[in-house]
Amino acid sequence: MVLAVEAKRLSVGYEELEELLWAVREASFEVGEGEAFCIVGESGSGKSTVASAIAGILPPHAVTDGELRIWGKLVVKGNERSYEGVRGRLVTYVPQSPGASLNPYLEIGDQFYHVLNNLYGLNRREALEKARAYLKMAGLEPDAVLDRYPHELSGGMQQRAAIALSLSTGAKILVADEPTSSLDAHLRLQIVELLKRLRVEAGLTLIFITHDMLLAGALSERIAVMYAGYLVELGPAREVLRKPLHPYTSMLIESVPVLGIKRPLKTYAGEPPGPGKLGKGCPFYDRCPFRLGVCAAETPPAKEVGESHHVACWLY
Amino acid sequence: MSRAGSTDLAVELREVSAGYFVAEGLKALRRKYVEVLRGVSLRVDGGERVAVIGESGSGKTTLLKVVLGLLQPMRGDVVVLGHRIYDIPERERWKVTRRIGYVPQDPFRALNPRLKVADIITEPLSRLHLPEDEKEERVRAAVKMVQLHESVLNHYPSRLSGGMMQRVLIARAVVHEPELLLLDEPTSALDVSTQAQVINLLNGIQERLKCAMVTVTHDLAVAQYLADRAVILYKGVVVEEGPLDEIVRNPKSEHARVLVASYTLGVSNPPIPASFV
Amino acid sequence: MSAIRARFNSAAGFLDLAKRAWKKSARFRAGTLLVGIMVSIAVLGPHLAPYPLDGWGVVPRNAAERAGKPPCPEFPFGTDSLGRDVLSRVLVGARLALVQIALVVSVSLALGLLVGACAAYYKGPVEALLNYVSEIFLALPAMVIALALRLALGQGLHVVVVSLILSWWPWYARSSYVYARAVVEMEYVLLARLAGVPGRTVLFRHVLANVLPPVLVQAITDLGSVLLEASAINFLGLGLPPDAPDWGIIVQNGFRYIVSMPWISMFPGVFILATALGFSLVGDSLREEMDPKMRRRWKLWF
Repeated sequence: MVLAVEAKRLSVGYEELEELLWAVREASFEVGEGEAFCIVGESGSGKSTVASAIAGILPPHAVTDGELRIWGKLVVKGNERSYEGVRGRLVTYVPQSPGASLNPYLEIGDQFYHVLNNLYGLNRREALEKARAYLKMAGLEPDAVLDRYPHELSGGMQQRAAIALSLSTGAKILVADEPTSSLDAHLRLQIVELLKRLRVEAGLTLIFITHDMLLAGALSERIAVMYAGYLVELGPAREVLRKPLHPYTSMLIESVPVLGIKRPLKTYAGEPPGPGKLGKGCPFYDRCPFRLGVCAAETPPAKEVGESHHVACWLY
Repeated sequence: MSRAGSTDLAVELREVSAGYFVAEGLKALRRKYVEVLRGVSLRVDGGERVAVIGESGSGKTTLLKVVLGLLQPMRGDVVVLGHRIYDIPERERWKVTRRIGYVPQDPFRALNPRLKVADIITEPLSRLHLPEDEKEERVRAAVKMVQLHESVLNHYPSRLSGGMMQRVLIARAVVHEPELLLLDEPTSALDVSTQAQVINLLNGIQERLKCAMVTVTHDLAVAQYLADRAVILYKGVVVEEGPLDEIVRNPKSEHARVLVASYTLGVSNPPIPASFV
Repeated sequence: MSAIRARFNSAAGFLDLAKRAWKKSARFRAGTLLVGIMVSIAVLGPHLAPYPLDGWGVVPRNAAERAGKPPCPEFPFGTDSLGRDVLSRVLVGARLALVQIALVVSVSLALGLLVGACAAYYKGPVEALLNYVSEIFLALPAMVIALALRLALGQGLHVVVVSLILSWWPWYARSSYVYARAVVEMEYVLLARLAGVPGRTVLFRHVLANVLPPVLVQAITDLGSVLLEASAINFLGLGLPPDAPDWGIIVQNGFRYIVSMPWISMFPGVFILATALGFSLVGDSLREEMDPKMRRRWKLWF
């Protein structure tokens, strides 16, 4: 069985003011077909960069290392990237704010037309037919949406339209970057339900990025936790939430306010660091309450602890 | 400095309706009135912690403006810290607003990039006619209260991280020991770990200063940590109000019910971490 | 995050900006060098000139035999029709050139900044009035004002300087107004007002402080353009008297002899160009350094 996404020691960096800053450092993970995979992290964790790498939308001035495969096809090797035939066709992307993926100057119907015509050479009638199908799948009434401009739709409808648009490419891997962060709470639930349903109906492989641990738990089967560019924990959602292995994961879980449960919020001092140069030792060293001597000297490798539950920490 | 038991009224809005004039048509020849708040009543006693919960478009920003004396309502009464603030001419309103500590939503827009942190935090003290060394003392105390190191005083805002900026804003809001603390989405721009720090920080401060604290937010989960009572705004109208725990346990209005449901992520129960129980 | 910080940095530290520009941009270095040379000449000019009296415009006694000599070891830039050493005149002229542009730009910058910031801050009728006034002045070209002043006040430095100030300040006013409008909506201005900080203080501490950097960079580039305009005004005889040690005047002196004695007009012309270029390079590279997004896009295409 071919894996949907396979990353081997993938690193991505950007040149900023003459310095090379690494946003993702040697991340290795696999996403199986039809899986719901979630990458959780705070700012500077590199999660959005990983999403961009998978979706094929890294900026030209990015620097990469390691390997990335989509459906077995090599798209990143060292600093060479080639997304021919992959970007848009095999992998599609939904950004955080629907405003970013919908062209404000085109009616929704026109946007479908441009995308489908570009990719598959469909004419207007065919494109609109497909558009209707996908819009319905996304829970929208096609006639109410096709002739409208994005700003005429509500935030929730925009996001659904954006999802429908990205699905219309026929791609089986959907990368969603914080799909619910810019939405009001009551819409969040709806989009989560939508994504779950689509996964089943369209056989999608869902990769999504979020900072919300609980959302990850509700939507995904496997969770990857990233901190400062490193993948620090990877495992089944239930396991990661119930028995977090990495101290950072525990911190993330314990500091999330949950409605209805009013326990004191525990937190460790400090803030997540931004992208930086490659350093030694564990990135969480400064804030970890369990740090050991070796943690400052060497970066912990990923180890498998428990069933397909990996963690990069010297405690194990 | 202690304050004699604050059981006085901090804020009271009675049937307030407010909105904006929007230019319509070419050359703004006509102006249309768009009502954003309708018949809103709110009461915050001294020392109380209240949350105003609303999503985008609910009118919560407008509500803040009304309380700060920036937007005169079309109807209704507004009493802030014992004064009918709109009876005071605009140029004099600072005499009331300077007793308020306001923390705006976006730290990038709330810190003057050309001023050092020390000057930013000292500014609210400028009208108090205090001797220099006392001002310095207060500033240092404020910095300590937000758990920042004194060295930050010499930095410019550009050197600060998001969390640090937020704390500087809070320090500025409390340096003059306000009677009312107004927070606009205090944690929305922050990471989860920083959010928790700021929440704990704010509660600590409120306990020390014994001021009234009004938090405007869309995040119900955060609100439960920062408030005892809540007012839920929807499309400019108060749809529910009362003790926050009550609302969460037993939401009465349709909107509140939907809101509460979306936080528990409905359908399948998310796995609750062991440390929660 | 870093891109935002870089933009913040440039507002807080002009020196940092200059240091960065020096390291990164060859244009900045070239421009600063040119400007540095011109400033040094301006300061030392009269002392460096081999024939200082010539420099100040005095016709030498042995004019007849000296006149019209092409560049030679004795007179590196040649002599003009009245026998004066062109090199000396050019060296002394540097001072007037820089004085003129410094005066014009600093005064119009100050005036424009204040007008724009007040318009944006006080809003209402003040805003309308100030904008209206600056629009009127915007429509007046410097030449026309210079002509009118020349007729009314006679020759002199004041004609050049005043006419240029009157025609340049509205550009800064407009620029300042645009930036100030954004700054006035910032929460830090609101916080200051809520705290009771008096309007004038807010205007200077918050509004002007943040409007100054971007407009200042534009002003630096303008120094070059102003020089060109000032030289033009003097060239036309609308400003300084015909013997004044000013580059524009020297060009004018040599204009009649442009075919027979081209060196008279050529050398001051080159200096005008070099100075204007220097300021232009400095201002341009500073502006580029201030805007990190533009920089990255350059890399994309080149």
